[in-house]
Amino acid sequence: MKNKIIMFWVIVLIVLLSGVAIWKKPVKLGLDLVGGSRLVLEAETTASVAKITPEVMQRLQYAIESRVNKLGVAETVVQQVGDKRLLVEIPDVTDLTEAKSFIGETAQLEFKKKAKNANGVEEWVSTGLTGQDLSKSTLTTDASGQWVVSLEFNSAGAKKFGDLTEELVGQTMAIFFDGELISDPRVNEPIYGGNAQITSGGTGFSYEEANRMVNLLNAGALPVPAKIVEENTVGPTLGADSVAKSKVAGIIGLTAVMLFMLAYYRVPGLIADIALIIYSVILFALFKTIPVTLTLAGIAGFILSIGMAVDANILIFERTKEELREGRNLFTAINSGFDRAFTSIFDSNMTTIITCIILYMLGTSVVKGFALTLALGVIVSMFSAITVTKNFMHLIFGTGELKHPGTFGLRQDEIGKGYDAVETKREKARFGILD
Amino acid sequence: MINTGRKHLVHIVKFRWLWMGLTALLLIPGIIAMIYSSTIYPNHAPMKVGIDYTGGTILQYGLVEKVTNQDVAKNREALEKIGIENPYIQVLNVNNTQQEQTKSNINSIISIRTKFIDKDSTVPQQIMSVMQQEYSNPELISVNSVGPTMGKELFKNSLLALSLAVLGIIAYLSFRFRFDYALAAILGIVHDVLFVCGVFSILGLVFNVQIDGLFITALLTVVGFSVHDTIVVFDRIRENLRYYAKKMTFGEIVDASVNQTLARSINTSLTTLITLLALYFFGGVTTKDFVLAMILGIAVGTYSSIFFCSMLVDFWNDKKEQKAAI
Repeated sequence: MKNKIIMFWVIVLIVLLSGVAIWKKPVKLGLDLVGGSRLVLEAETTASVAKITPEVMQRLQYAIESRVNKLGVAETVVQQVGDKRLLVEIPDVTDLTEAKSFIGETAQLEFKKKAKNANGVEEWVSTGLTGQDLSKSTLTTDASGQWVVSLEFNSAGAKKFGDLTEELVGQTMAIFFDGELISDPRVNEPIYGGNAQITSGGTGFSYEEANRMVNLLNAGALPVPAKIVEENTVGPTLGADSVAKSKVAGIIGLTAVMLFMLAYYRVPGLIADIALIIYSVILFALFKTIPVTLTLAGIAGFILSIGMAVDANILIFERTKEELREGRNLFTAINSGFDRAFTSIFDSNMTTIITCIILYMLGTSVVKGFALTLALGVIVSMFSAITVTKNFMHLIFGTGELKHPGTFGLRQDEIGKGYDAVETKREKARFGILD
Repeated sequence: MINTGRKHLVHIVKFRWLWMGLTALLLIPGIIAMIYSSTIYPNHAPMKVGIDYTGGTILQYGLVEKVTNQDVAKNREALEKIGIENPYIQVLNVNNTQQEQTKSNINSIISIRTKFIDKDSTVPQQIMSVMQQEYSNPELISVNSVGPTMGKELFKNSLLALSLAVLGIIAYLSFRFRFDYALAAILGIVHDVLFVCGVFSILGLVFNVQIDGLFITALLTVVGFSVHDTIVVFDRIRENLRYYAKKMTFGEIVDASVNQTLARSINTSLTTLITLLALYFFGGVTTKDFVLAMILGIAVGTYSSIFFCSMLVDFWNDKKEQKAAI
């Protein structure tokens, strides 16, 4: 009995901790619920880039990242999936067609010089030297310890750069990235050999600045085109609608299941209902702490798992009722009910977890969300439906005889008419049966 | 003798041929629909396949008006005029009881399926102008696009997932039970999957319902659940065999085991169906077909684990005994 009281307080503690987690942590909703754009881009080879190497992918990723960041939206995601694909996620999109405009044009790095236009106003004009001519850019420091961006041109670029610097000695030259001025260094002398360095006048570059520039230059230096192979864009209206409806469906589903359990299994049903609430609280806390991004399919998995979570309780209670019909006392009936139902519960949950693992490994992101919530649900339900329910059953019913069969939904005349339970000596010892 | 405390409600062994016939009755219409579908669809698929697997774009517009069939016919004509070949149009009517909460006044959603729309295409703008001509204030609420190569890849992955899941379950069951039990459970899975696919094939022919990535997910969930059910029955057979193998025939043990687990099988499916029905009637529109597939699968999965799988185990055992007797 002492152990059971300790266990009871452990359960209370877990529920309280979960409550704190739910209260403190924000819920992470997927793009299909808050509205947003999810794109899968695929890098395409060109005449000059015959193979998509990991290096090429990294440059492409930097290029796309800088574009996505320009949209000025928080919490964007750009990550590589597979060998030649990028996943781009942009939340809070209101104009569904605008979101993907950033892939419209490929990255452009341009070297420009000053020239007078037709009206006699001085402006930056293209020199014909672009990112196509750059072979790579690296981050280094100069003799005084300042951060420096080093450029390395390919052979055509080296020739063009040599000619350009020859022409521009004493003047400024500008490096533009997607129309944005990154730096406009003064050319001190002609530079041959295909290597150049960009330093910042005045205070010098910070590490972040220089690093960003290297990334941008490397990205711009290799503009492989990317095409959209998959898109899921959901406007905020549909997202809000889905959230509201899922809430309603969840509450109705949960309430209906609880009413059913109460009506069919009576007092044990009530205990199962409490266990179900504990289950929902723990699971929701887990979603927030891990955190699991909740998508519409994920919520469907969560609601489905409510139905499955009571399965273990149904198995146990049916078994306990059988034992009671046979005339066992309460303590024994509850114990053997749990013990004998356990293998079924374990085996059946294992198969669900197997399918979830496979779905998680092979599925698309929508399917992954569903598999993850369902698998977490099954694992948590093993705790809530077995440990929690068993503890409460023992605390409430104690060890006496069953005086009111109605509490289990049994009739008085059913008692003592069950099957002849046969068990080995060891099982008898485990269930606490005294002959 | 095992006494289940009441009379047996179902008789597996006695009415074996009835259960075989009922199984056939459940499966045959769907199989016919699938064969018919594969002869009439250009891609020879047994079901109407959505953009996830064929590639394509679905644009969804939220509308204030309730959309009628005449409207849809008019839309189709207008879309064909701007050069969209054979557009699929589907109308989802929203039971908008929660308008206050969501501040949306959308009463119906119209989804238009076209070929894959590339990023530089002006088709979305053209469709939008068609919609603006027909309806008062259409709002583009979602865009789903899958490139043609991606579709093939997703399809391959889905088939791989389905076969890996089945192999995993066979391996686990062979390890925990005997191989012939595993085989019976797998035939149960085939039964359930065939039924759900059959119904969706019919729905595809009649209501234009298309299968997508979520459909395969629903199938896999059904597979897990159906095996779940079957295991509980088999677990009971195994337990009863341990105690009563000498006193009762195999058939009697199967009958008793099924009846002992009957209340549990039905109640579990019932609670799961309750939550699914709540999702179907009150949940989001976008997951409706997904939930429907699960409702069908779980209902038929309960039938198959009670009647079909246990019947198979008994049937095989009979054949084995007959052989041994000869």
